[in-house]
Parts: sequence; C-alpha cells; structure tokens
Amino acid sequence: MRILVCCKQVDEPESLLLDEQGRPYPNAPARRKLAEWDARALEEALVLKETRPGVEVWAVTVGPAEADAVLQRALGMGADQAAHILAADDPPLRPATIAAWLAEFARERGFDLILCGVMSEDSLQGLVGLMLAELLGLACATGVVGLALVPDQAGLRVEREMEGGRRQAMTLPLSALVTVGSSPRQPRYPSLSNLLRAKKAPRLLIEAETLAPAPVREERLGLSLPQRQRAGLRLVGSPAEKAAQLRDILRERSLL
Amino acid sequence: MSPAPVGIPPNGRVVAVLEHGPEGLAAVSLELAAAAKRLAEWLGLEARLVLLGDQPEVLARQAARASGLPVMALRAPCLAGFSGEAYRQVLAGLLPAWDAAVVMAGHTTSGLDWLPGLAARLGAACVSGVEGMRLGDGRPVFSRVTLHGKLVEEVAPRAWPLCLTLQPGALAAWVTPADSPGAVEVSEVAPPDCRSQVQDLPGEAGADAALGQATVVLAAGLGMGGPEKLEVLRRLAARLPNAALAGSRPVCDLGWLPYRQQVGLTGATVAPRLYIACGISGARQHTVGMQGAGFIVAISHDPQAAIFNLADVCLVEELPAFLQTFLDLI
Repeated sequence: MRILVCCKQVDEPESLLLDEQGRPYPNAPARRKLAEWDARALEEALVLKETRPGVEVWAVTVGPAEADAVLQRALGMGADQAAHILAADDPPLRPATIAAWLAEFARERGFDLILCGVMSEDSLQGLVGLMLAELLGLACATGVVGLALVPDQAGLRVEREMEGGRRQAMTLPLSALVTVGSSPRQPRYPSLSNLLRAKKAPRLLIEAETLAPAPVREERLGLSLPQRQRAGLRLVGSPAEKAAQLRDILRERSLL
Repeated sequence: MSPAPVGIPPNGRVVAVLEHGPEGLAAVSLELAAAAKRLAEWLGLEARLVLLGDQPEVLARQAARASGLPVMALRAPCLAGFSGEAYRQVLAGLLPAWDAAVVMAGHTTSGLDWLPGLAARLGAACVSGVEGMRLGDGRPVFSRVTLHGKLVEEVAPRAWPLCLTLQPGALAAWVTPADSPGAVEVSEVAPPDCRSQVQDLPGEAGADAALGQATVVLAAGLGMGGPEKLEVLRRLAARLPNAALAGSRPVCDLGWLPYRQQVGLTGATVAPRLYIACGISGARQHTVGMQGAGFIVAISHDPQAAIFNLADVCLVEELPAFLQTFLDLI
C-alpha cells in the first residue's frame, strides 16, 4: 500500500515580524516549519505504516529550495520517500496551481491513499486537498480526526469533525484522499540521528516548469495590515505598572 | 504572461448554498444570502438561494422570508444528513444549467467539504475565507486574512465562474430584514451516486455549561507555555465572580484542557462581559467563538499577534508571569 502525504512549509507566526506597512523585515526572515495539520496527516500515515506490513509512505512538497526542510522533517519522522516540486512561492502559489501540480505528480504513481492537512494554519484556505481529490477522481473526506483501514484493506473508515463538536462517521473505498484536522495523535519528534540521515536521503526533484502550466484564475491585488475592530489600547510600563492599569480599567467598567 | 483581468460576466446568477443542521438554518446562511444579494446588485445579476435536504421546504420558506430572495429547495431522501459528495454531485449537475456565475458557501466544515471540489470540476476561480467584498474597477474584490491573521489580502477573480466561501460572522452587519418573502420552488433531485457513506454520530458531551453562562472567561492559548502553567489562570478564575476557564483548539488538542472547554469554530461560542485571552495568537478558528464578548483583554508576548486587532486592551507581556503579577494586585 502506498500513501502520499502533502506537506506545506509555513512561517512560524511568532518569528514573523512585519513593518508598519505590513512587509516582512528582509534581514529577519521568519523561521519556517512543517504546517501543523500536515504534520498530523503524516503522523496518521506513519501509524498506518506501523500497524500494517507493506505500507510505503511518500512525502511531497511544493515550494522553493528552502522547503526541503519539511521533507527532511518528514523523512526524519519516518517517511520512506520524498519528492519536491520546485517552484517560487512569493507571491504565494494559488491553491488550484498546487493541486494541479500535485495531481500530475500523483497520477501515475499508484497511491492508494493521499493525506493532506485540512488547511494550512497561515492562510486557512482549505482548498488544495479537495481540489486534488477532484482532479484525480478520488473519494474523499475532509477535517478527519480519526482514521482506520477496514480489515480487508479495500476501504477506509474515518471520523470527521464539524461545527460545535458534531461528528460524522464515513466509509470510503480506496483509492481515497483524506484531509486531516485536529486528530488527537501528536506528530512524533524525529530523533537527531534520523534527521541527519534524512538530510542525506535522496529526493525526487521535479521542476514546476516541466509540469503542465496550471491556469491562474485569481490574482492578489494587495496586502494590508488588518483594521482594528476595537480600541486596542496598548498598555505600557513595567509589568507591575501594566497590571495596575489593567486593574483600574477593569474596575472602572465594573468588570472586577 | 498573465491573462487580462476579466470583468463582469454578461449574465448568469449568484447562487448561495445555505447551511443547516440539527438547530435549523445556520447563522452563516443569512449572511450568505445578504452577500449574494449585494454581489448580484453590483454585477447586475440575479441572486438565488439553494437549500438541499430530505425535507427542505420549511427551512427554504424561512430563508425566503428572511432574505426576500428566491429559494430553490432541492429534495432527495438521501440528503437527510450532510454529505459533501452528495452536495458536489447534485450541484455539479445543476449549476451549469442555472448559468451560475458565482457559487457561494460558508467557510465551514460543510462548505469546505464540497465547494473546492466543485471549483476544480468547473474550472472556476476560487477564493475562500472571504471576510469583506467591494466592487473595484468593474469587478468584485474580496478580502481575507492571511499570514496567521497578521495581514489582509485582496483577491480578484480572473475567470468565471467564481466560487467563494464566506467566513461566518464576517458580514453579519449586512443582514437586514426583507420587505416581502422570496418565492420558493421545490424540486426533486435524483439520488446522487455516492462512493462514500456518511452517518451523523450522536453528539459528544457538549460545551461546558459553565462556559456559556460565565461573566468572565479566561482563555489559555499555547503561549501560556505548558499545562502546569495554567494553575495561575485557575487561581485567577477562583478570585473573579462567575469566571470560567477556556482554551484554544491547540491547547485542547494537547490535552492541557478538556475539549468541552474549547472556544472556537469546532467548540463553544461565548459572549461573556469580559474575555481575557492569554497567549492566544488570534487564529480565526478561535476568534469566531469569542468576538462577541463585551470587553476583550489580550495578553501575548508576540507584539504582532492577530488577537490584538480585536482587543479593547492589549498587553505585550510574558506569560504566565504577568498573570501572577496581576493576581497579586487584585
């Protein structure tokens, strides 16, 4: 059985510093990491690999050369193979473009199961997974928080989460695509020795220009800082002074 | 070479697919109707609402009364529960026949379970998580938050049809009462041929009742630093009248707090008089559940955390140390 996990590299939010115009400081690039829900998707794939013989796990990413770090992470966690579709991502690639390239990569490679994160935590679009399923004609489920192969391996049983904690149980035939939400399984930490080994492991490199050109159907007109929805009063001073100010503000409003 | 911008389609409809669940029409449904109406006016098109179900008439009439827009109720026995695959199958057959120029759904676990697939099938432009829209240079322009909520991007379509998902709550102010109800048309649809089988599960223990009734909610995010660091929040909660402890999704995922104390999209929606967000980044997943609070205090060590954009008072401070300082003072 072959499983493909789609992995996106995202900025770590706390290391991402913007100037007054909302531009990242050029000399202080954000630290980047494997997107949280993609890491959970990978963990689900690795658990399947541990519980079944003959499971091979592939990790694929779309992005610039730096995105190789997420493949190293995936290999370090236990993925068997890694593929990198090399493409510049500034401005960010449109989800339909990513889905089209992933579809072209996956189409002839015989994956029984494709896992994606339900969305990436930076842009929260939630589009690539389902677009990819559609392009490949796969049965699919989104926002899955638990998954298991049914005993004869011909299908998958999943549980998906909806608003307000409501849940649905689903069965899907393989091949299938599943987007993984906040599953209770914590992504494992790769050991240092595994990470070092992963650095040297081979990657399948694919230049995006060699793939069919993907149509771009939307364009980003601009970026701006969000408008404050409330007063956003910033307290200044030492921690003790701020605490006193906060106490006074809350008392004035009879909230304390 | 990039294609030329595409203007308004010459004809067609703006179609909003309504959401409903065990509690009836979802709040986002009326927001979808309001947005569809506005967009149709701008583009000179006709707005139409669609509701799928096994007994869709009652909710369809309710939506028609509330919005004043025509509602197409699509009925099939297999549409009793939500199934993304069934929605995709049914709508993919009908939307081209309806000449849909714009298709809208909620940016929810349901909308995101069918609309992106349909967009791929139709070769449509697609913008998700829309929080605002305007008409600029003859075409619609949509705004959405990105980069962990730190920036807002404006996106315009270059092609038609256009598929959109609307962030619940973002356009609530656009919802206005209608003068007269829209027409309702009920239509039987052939049962879709689905590969997946879906079953609604009995509800888990819902949100903590104390959370919904609390006057003060103290909410912990990952920025608190660890489960043992929540102790100071518990002590603070004990000192404040009618206060309850809550957590963001990641905090509950890590088991620092049980899921029934989670606030946000997949948890509880609360509107206490005072909400103190401690170490919470301000991801939309969380803020949709607390933006109605009376007064919001945000404490984070990240000076650019998105939560500060919807706070009344912002404190850039280390946690949990600051909370201890505050506790000692009151």
